[in-house]
Amino acid sequence: MIEQQPPPKTTKDPLGRDPQAAARKTGADGENWVIVVNKPSLNGRSAMKKFFLLCLFLIGFGWAISNFPGLATQGTYDSIVLDFREDLGAAEIAKEVNAIAQQYQVAPQLNSEFSAGDNVYVVKGDRTLLNALKKSNLAKDTEYIEPNYVYSAFGIPNDPMYTKQWNLRSINVESAWNETKGSGTTVAIIDSGITPVADLKETKFVPGYDFVNNRAEAYDDHGHGTHVAGTVAQSTNNNYGVAGIAYEAALMPLKVLSASGGGTVSDIAEAIKFAADNGADVINMSLGGSGESQLMSEAIDYAHSKGVVIIAAAGNSGESSASYPARYPHVIGVSALGPDDEKASYSNFGAGVDIAAPGGSEMGKILQSTIDPETGAEVFEGYEGTSMASPHVAAVAALVKASGITEPDSIRSILLQSSRTVTEDPLNHFGSGHLDAAAAVQLAQRGQINFRDFFRWLRDNGYLSPRFWIDGGAVALLPKVAMVLGSYLLAFFMRNYFPFAWTWGFSGGLIAGSSGFFGLRNLFVFDLPQWPLRVMGSSIPELGGAINGSSMLNPFFASVLIPGILIALLLGHRQWKWIAIAISIGFASSLAVNAFVSPAVWGLGSGLLAQTFLIVNALLCFGLARLAIKTEVQSA
Amino acid sequence: MSITVKGEIERKGLGPGTWALVGEDGETYELKDAPSELKKAGLKVSVKGEVRKDVMTFAMIGPVLEVQSFEEL
Repeated sequence: MIEQQPPPKTTKDPLGRDPQAAARKTGADGENWVIVVNKPSLNGRSAMKKFFLLCLFLIGFGWAISNFPGLATQGTYDSIVLDFREDLGAAEIAKEVNAIAQQYQVAPQLNSEFSAGDNVYVVKGDRTLLNALKKSNLAKDTEYIEPNYVYSAFGIPNDPMYTKQWNLRSINVESAWNETKGSGTTVAIIDSGITPVADLKETKFVPGYDFVNNRAEAYDDHGHGTHVAGTVAQSTNNNYGVAGIAYEAALMPLKVLSASGGGTVSDIAEAIKFAADNGADVINMSLGGSGESQLMSEAIDYAHSKGVVIIAAAGNSGESSASYPARYPHVIGVSALGPDDEKASYSNFGAGVDIAAPGGSEMGKILQSTIDPETGAEVFEGYEGTSMASPHVAAVAALVKASGITEPDSIRSILLQSSRTVTEDPLNHFGSGHLDAAAAVQLAQRGQINFRDFFRWLRDNGYLSPRFWIDGGAVALLPKVAMVLGSYLLAFFMRNYFPFAWTWGFSGGLIAGSSGFFGLRNLFVFDLPQWPLRVMGSSIPELGGAINGSSMLNPFFASVLIPGILIALLLGHRQWKWIAIAISIGFASSLAVNAFVSPAVWGLGSGLLAQTFLIVNALLCFGLARLAIKTEVQSA
Repeated sequence: MSITVKGEIERKGLGPGTWALVGEDGETYELKDAPSELKKAGLKVSVKGEVRKDVMTFAMIGPVLEVQSFEEL
C-alpha cells in the first residue's frame, strides 16, 4: 500500500500572508539591523560591504537558479522511444508503425525481443522529430514519446583501453575532470613533433614549428613526441584507444628532436621563445642533457616572464641531481614513479627534482597512442621514462591554469602544495611529493566561490539528486536552498578570516543547523509512518514542529538556546566543537531565512514580533559561532 | 675534443628505445647517430668520439657520444 499522505506544506504562511511582501518589507530596513548588531566587533562600513556582497551574491544565485535548465533537458540522444498503448491491439499498432515509417521516413523497430509485450518501439531521430511526433495524432495512441537518452557513468571515460592507464587513476584525474578538462589552455610539446594519429583526432591543435627541418608542419618521425602529447591531451571519451589528462587543452607541436632522438640547445631555445610568443600557457620538455647553456637559460627566463609554466623531465641516468633543462630555475623538474608509487630505478633524483609523477617501470608502463618509427604505422605503445612523467605535470598545470590561476609561480606552488607528501624521502626522490590532479584543481579553486563549487558541495552532502530537482516542488525549494547557501556563505566568510579545516562533521553540522536533509521530506515509504523521515528531513530549528507536521517554529528550538548549549558543552572537545560551531552557523542561516519567508513562531504570531525574535536569534547564533571560531583559531 | 671509451653496447628501453655504450668505468653514454654495425646488444667495443654537451635527447641516460670511429674488441 502506498500511504496516500499529502506532502507537508512547510513554508506556507499559516495566516495566509504573502511571504514575499514580508520579505520586501523587512528587506527595506534590513541595513539597520546589520549595522547595529555588528557594532561591537566590526565597523559599519565593513559590515555594509559584506551585506552588500551577500545581497549581490544572492541576486546572482537567484538568477542562476531561475536559469538552471535542469538535468532532465541536458541528456544526449539520437533516437526516440514510443510506447504504444496496450489496448490498441497488435494489428492497430502495426498500422501505426507503418504510418510513421512512411510519414517520417524512419524505420521503427522493437527495442529488443523483450519489448513486444510492452509495445516499446525505437526510431532514429532528433529533437525536431521528437516534437513532430509529440504533436501528431500518434500521441493519443501512445503511453509516452520520449528521448532515448544515452546514459554514461560520470568521470570514467569510455576509451576502451582506459582500464590499462593506472597512471591516470594514480594522479586522481577523474575527480579533477568534474571541474575542468583544461579547456582554453595551450600546452607546447617541445619534442620530436606530433603525428595526428587517430586518437588525437578530436584534440585541438594550434600552429607549431619544426626546428629540425625548418618548416611549419611539425610531424613526428620518431614516436616520442606523439606519445608525450597523448598523455597531455589524447582524445578522450571518443570510444577509441586511450585517454589523456587535459584533453580539452590545445597542443602546440614544436619539433626539436630528430628521428634519431637528439636535438641542439639552440633549436630548443628557439622553440621555447616560439611557444612564449605564440600564446602557450605551459611548455613540456621531455628531454635533457648535461650541458648548461646561457642561451637556453635566457629563453626559459623569457618564457617565464611572459607567464608560461615550464615543466621538464629530471633525466633517466638514475643519479642524484636532475639534468638540464629541469635544473634551471623557473623549470619544474619531474622524477618518475612506477605503479608501486616508488621512484622508478632509472629516474634521477635529488637536486632539481620538484615533484614526482607516473613514468612507468617494468611493472607497468605508460600507454598512449603513437607511431612505430620503423614503419610509421599507428600503434598503442607502453613507454617508460621521466619523459612520460613530465607531461602528467604539464597537463595538470593546464588544468590549474584553466581553473583561473594565471601566474606561473602560483601554478607552480599549487602543483607542489597539493601533491601527496612522502614523509620519508631523505634523498629527495619525490620533491614535494606525488602529483595529485584533483587536489591541485581543488586548491586552485579555493578562494573563488563559484556556482559549481556550491553544487558539488550540495552533491557531496547528499543533497543533489536529479529527482530532487525535478520533484522538489513539495518542499519549497528556494528557501531551503537559501538556508544551505546562507550557512555555506557564512562559514566561507569566517574561514577567510580564521582559517580552519573543513571536515565532514563541520558539513554535517551546517546541514543539521540550516535545513536538514530536506529531500527526505518528499519520501513516502510503503507501510511506514512518514514522521521519522520528516524529522530527519528537518533542521534542528524546525524540529519543534516536525513531529506533528506543523510548519510553525517552536521558540525553544528556533533560537540561540540549542547552539549555545552545544557550544558550551562541546567547546572542550577537539572535533565535536566544530560540529557545534557549524550547527550554530546553520542556525543563523535558517532563522534568518525563516524570518523573511515564514516567520510563524508559537506564541509570537507571525508578525514583526516573530521576525524580530528570529533575526535577533540568527545574529546571536552567528556572533556565537564567530566568537568560538576566533577563540579556537587564535588559541590553536 | 675526442675521447675513447671501452665498453659494451646495450639497448635501453626508455621511450621508443635507444643505443647506449656502458663504459668499463661504469659511465653510460648515449650513442648519437650510431652506425648500424654498432647497433648490436652485447657487442664489446672501443669507441672514439666526441661528447656533445650542446645536444639534448629524449633518452637522458647520460653524456651524448657522437661516434667518430670504433673497433670491436
